[in-house]
Amino acid sequence: MPKNITHKMNYDLNQLGKTQEKTSTLAGLKKLVQLIAHEKRTLLLAVLAILVNSTLNLLGPFIVGHTIDKYVVHKDFTGVLHNAILLLCMFLAALFTSYMQTTLMGGVGQRMLFALRNSIFNKLQQLPVDFFNKNKAGDLISRVNNDTDKLNQFFSQSLMQFIGNIATMVGAGIFLLLINIELGAAALSPAIVILLLTLALSPWIKKKNALNLKSVGGMSAEIQESLNNFKVIIAFNRRDYFRKRFEIANAQNYKTAIGAGLANNVFVPVYGLFASVAQLIVLAFGIYLIGTGQFSIGLLVSYLSYATLFYNPLRQLAALWTNFQLAMAGWDRISQILSLETNLPQIVAGVAEPSAALLEFRDVHFSYDESREILHNISFKLEQGKTYALVGPTGGGKTTTASLIARLYDPSEGLVLLNGKDIRSYDPVERSQKIGFILQEPFLFTGTVKDNILYGNELYKDYTNQQVEQVIKDANLGTLLAIFENGLDTPVLSGGDSISLGQKQLIAFMRAVLRNPELLILDEATANIDTITEQLLSDILNKLPKTTTRVIIAHRLNTIENADEIFFVNSGEVIRAGSLNDAMEMLLQGKRTS
Amino acid sequence: MGLVSLLLLFALLSNGINLWLPQIIRGGIDDYTQKHFVFSTIVKKFSIAALLIFVFAYLQAIIQTYASERVARDLRQRLSDKISRQSYAFIEQANPSKLLTNLTADVDSIKLFVSQALVSIVSSLFIIIGCSVLLLTINWKLGLAVIAIIPIIGGTFAYVLKNVRALFMKSRGVIDQLNKVINESILGAALIRVINSQQLEYDKFLRANTEARDYGLRILGFFAGLIPIVTFTANIAALTILVMGGHFVITGTMSLGSFAAFNSYLSLLIFPIFILGFMSNLIAQATASFTRIRVVLDAPDITAVGNLKETLLGNVTLNDVTVSYGQKSALKNISLDVSAGSKIAVIGPTGAGKSQLLYLLTGLINATSGEVLFDGKSINAYDSESFHSQVGFVFQDSIIFNMSIRENIAFSDTVTDESLQKAIDTAELREFIDGLPEHLSTIVSERGSSLSGGQKQRIMLARALALNPKVLLLDDFTARVDNNTEKKILTNIQKNYPGLTLISVTQKIASVEHYDQIILLTQGEIVARGVHDELMHTSTDYVQIFNSQQSTSNYETGAAH
Repeated sequence: MPKNITHKMNYDLNQLGKTQEKTSTLAGLKKLVQLIAHEKRTLLLAVLAILVNSTLNLLGPFIVGHTIDKYVVHKDFTGVLHNAILLLCMFLAALFTSYMQTTLMGGVGQRMLFALRNSIFNKLQQLPVDFFNKNKAGDLISRVNNDTDKLNQFFSQSLMQFIGNIATMVGAGIFLLLINIELGAAALSPAIVILLLTLALSPWIKKKNALNLKSVGGMSAEIQESLNNFKVIIAFNRRDYFRKRFEIANAQNYKTAIGAGLANNVFVPVYGLFASVAQLIVLAFGIYLIGTGQFSIGLLVSYLSYATLFYNPLRQLAALWTNFQLAMAGWDRISQILSLETNLPQIVAGVAEPSAALLEFRDVHFSYDESREILHNISFKLEQGKTYALVGPTGGGKTTTASLIARLYDPSEGLVLLNGKDIRSYDPVERSQKIGFILQEPFLFTGTVKDNILYGNELYKDYTNQQVEQVIKDANLGTLLAIFENGLDTPVLSGGDSISLGQKQLIAFMRAVLRNPELLILDEATANIDTITEQLLSDILNKLPKTTTRVIIAHRLNTIENADEIFFVNSGEVIRAGSLNDAMEMLLQGKRTS
Repeated sequence: MGLVSLLLLFALLSNGINLWLPQIIRGGIDDYTQKHFVFSTIVKKFSIAALLIFVFAYLQAIIQTYASERVARDLRQRLSDKISRQSYAFIEQANPSKLLTNLTADVDSIKLFVSQALVSIVSSLFIIIGCSVLLLTINWKLGLAVIAIIPIIGGTFAYVLKNVRALFMKSRGVIDQLNKVINESILGAALIRVINSQQLEYDKFLRANTEARDYGLRILGFFAGLIPIVTFTANIAALTILVMGGHFVITGTMSLGSFAAFNSYLSLLIFPIFILGFMSNLIAQATASFTRIRVVLDAPDITAVGNLKETLLGNVTLNDVTVSYGQKSALKNISLDVSAGSKIAVIGPTGAGKSQLLYLLTGLINATSGEVLFDGKSINAYDSESFHSQVGFVFQDSIIFNMSIRENIAFSDTVTDESLQKAIDTAELREFIDGLPEHLSTIVSERGSSLSGGQKQRIMLARALALNPKVLLLDDFTARVDNNTEKKILTNIQKNYPGLTLISVTQKIASVEHYDQIILLTQGEIVARGVHDELMHTSTDYVQIFNSQQSTSNYETGAAH
């Protein structure tokens, strides 16, 4: 018995958040920096610009102090003018470097965000259906939109300030120490206290922000669910339901936001206090030093400027640091998605078994989660060119069986073989060409009917309307298209509510047929289409190439009366029913089970 | 508002005292040069000032948090109240994902405005004005020269902001587009995987993302120019102080302490100017967001609802009703009479307007012309709560909320336990629910992905029946329920809900052959009506539909016997 050691992935992000160990800020930052590894040159240039710019800015007060001591105190105005011209040149140079600094760093930030969004979206595309069923759409959307936006705010607004401030601060610190090491050490000592305090408080701040982001995600999920199902809310007059549920989510969000806000705002006043203390130290100690003849008034004036230049950016950094913590909390949530891998990897192709059926289930077991097995030990074969029907009570496992055929999931035990080869060894491109699957819930993209019919169709994608119409006619689908008011150009609005469910099913049908699959699965794909049109569909199915295998899941028996073989699916078992009458018998007698 | 005033008060207090610090330093230096420097007075004054600044700044921070979060919460509440009172058409037109952005990202940028921008702007302006006044009092000539930078900087900001605001609006639009691609790729995840069109989605995303990046870079370009110009202007002011102030000190018209204070004030002055610069970014975003929110808040409420609370008998009448969307009519001149307790069926091809007819009867959409009457009175005359608690609607698409089965079925407040149980039995859900680990309390996931299509549909039916409705509207309810179950359910309804007016959109003639009236709807028009036997003689379309279902019916009866 072939038993798969399927790599089970936990796709529930909310559970994942609980179990996953918290990544350190540094480790998280490292991963982020990898996204811009290729920008080394720009970064280097930017850092250079920042350094030059900061040096120029810092030299300013020094020259001013020097001018006061040397020329103002000694009443030499020409000297003042000389230095003034020097300063003007420096300021002009700073004008240039400052521009460079912002453009270069900002550019890196924007491109990093771009790369980040791309990699998240790319990851989302790699993950299997399982992932999307385990997580609420609203929460996912919030992660991708809201949490990247937190990073966006940091990159587009804070990063430049962040780096600029750090450069100014470090430079000012160096100047403070260079001018007078004792006074410098005294002036900087409050900063050390601040540093320790910041390090001690950061994990708490990040945690508070993470809690808040989580409740934002919950709130988005709530809104998403209610708004998308608004017609039920209206028809059952539960507008208050929407309000109440939202109120709860909103109140919850308020609570965590206050927590995060209080944490985020703790730094600014503290930094301010320490900056004042530093100034006091400089003033007192400086005057003492002047008294002992080791210092001058001019130096004290520039020294006070340097102290301001050191502590003002530090104060700004306090605000930026919380932005940074917020961005990192968002990044953590995004990383959770990025760290996931698909549980449907492509395996190395084995040897195909000769003269095999088109598709075969061999001792297949399946469960969506550990608690309940949905399919128990199923084996059957589908042969080329035949039509199969899956019938059975609701909840019996028909859709699950179909999902395994299309490899939306892998069996937990057993094998699914396509043309005698393990289906897992197929390239997704090849597999999706061979297997067409019309899903129970048709989904349309915003655009036109044409966009949706040709969705993902490589062959016809560049065809003009006329050509597409011809193709549709050739595939006997012309009558179906006529149902749409403006034909191919009929617009499909977001959510697709402008188009009836039956019409959506028609589009899904045309979409699948035009892809010309070897195996076509219809999962109650015509349930909401009238019987005359359905007969038409049935004719179209019959006119498909002789080699096409059809698997039809339906409750309406006329849709399956032409089947070559009928499988009765119930309670996770698939039984071959000899004739339609046998199947009917089973349906009538079979107990409905969940 | 009280909070905001308090917030501004504390901000001004802490900033006001901040302006005092250079004065203390000036006093210290001047005292020192004049040799009557008292160390302890300076330390005392300075410490008191620093402590006061700390206390006020901290209070300001706390109030700032509460004020901004309250503003955000209340704004969200107002928005959700507004949205909850809107019509179905409004939601569809406003687009749920855009409303989601309104409730999250847009509210956030206004919150950011309140929490950071508002205080910063007011206190920055305060400092700028305060500094200017102090500079003028110390030395008005030099003061004027320094203050001259303010209009230059202001002008630069005005120019940049004007350009950036337009770009922000556009980039928001691109972000909306980006979000739409993300949303569709999440909601359509299964289809994308079946077709293996991940690359296609990625390309779509890449296009929008590239555009978003390019807007970001363009906005950046403006800001990159703005900041250096502001710095440069400020530096020129420093230069002016050095040259002019130096000259004044040399000629003896200004003290060295005042000269030092001028330098301190300049650095105090520049910082808030920068803050204003960065805040301008926030202002631009908040303005854009507020404009978008305003659109929703200013939307007119749905027209006055009626206040009739009478118990319905179940007579339904349509008088020459037309529903049009622009040029296109979904329903044309429909007239219909359904007497209380009777059963009528609506059949017709896909896209004929059958669902639209039911939407009309439940008030989801309004008639463009003509009247919809219940018991002879216009649907709009009824109090909506009373009306909706008497008209049950089973939607065609399965809509399951992320709640327990109990809450999904007893979706309305008025549902008693008795009617809940009756609904469960009628919808043949008893066995299914008993088999669940936590029975009625089992939480079903969003979009009901853990339930089969038929189970979802039966839950939807139970939801409508739990109201004990007088009128039941079924939209293609049996499409996903097997025939056997369907028959049982219809018998159950007959037995458990006698006197119910039933309007059923369906595809299967067999289940409605005995109905009191069958209506054939094609392209929004009633093309035939009558009981089954009549229609078999009068309508060729009907016969055609009947024939299309014949072979199966034979199988069914054959199997049943």
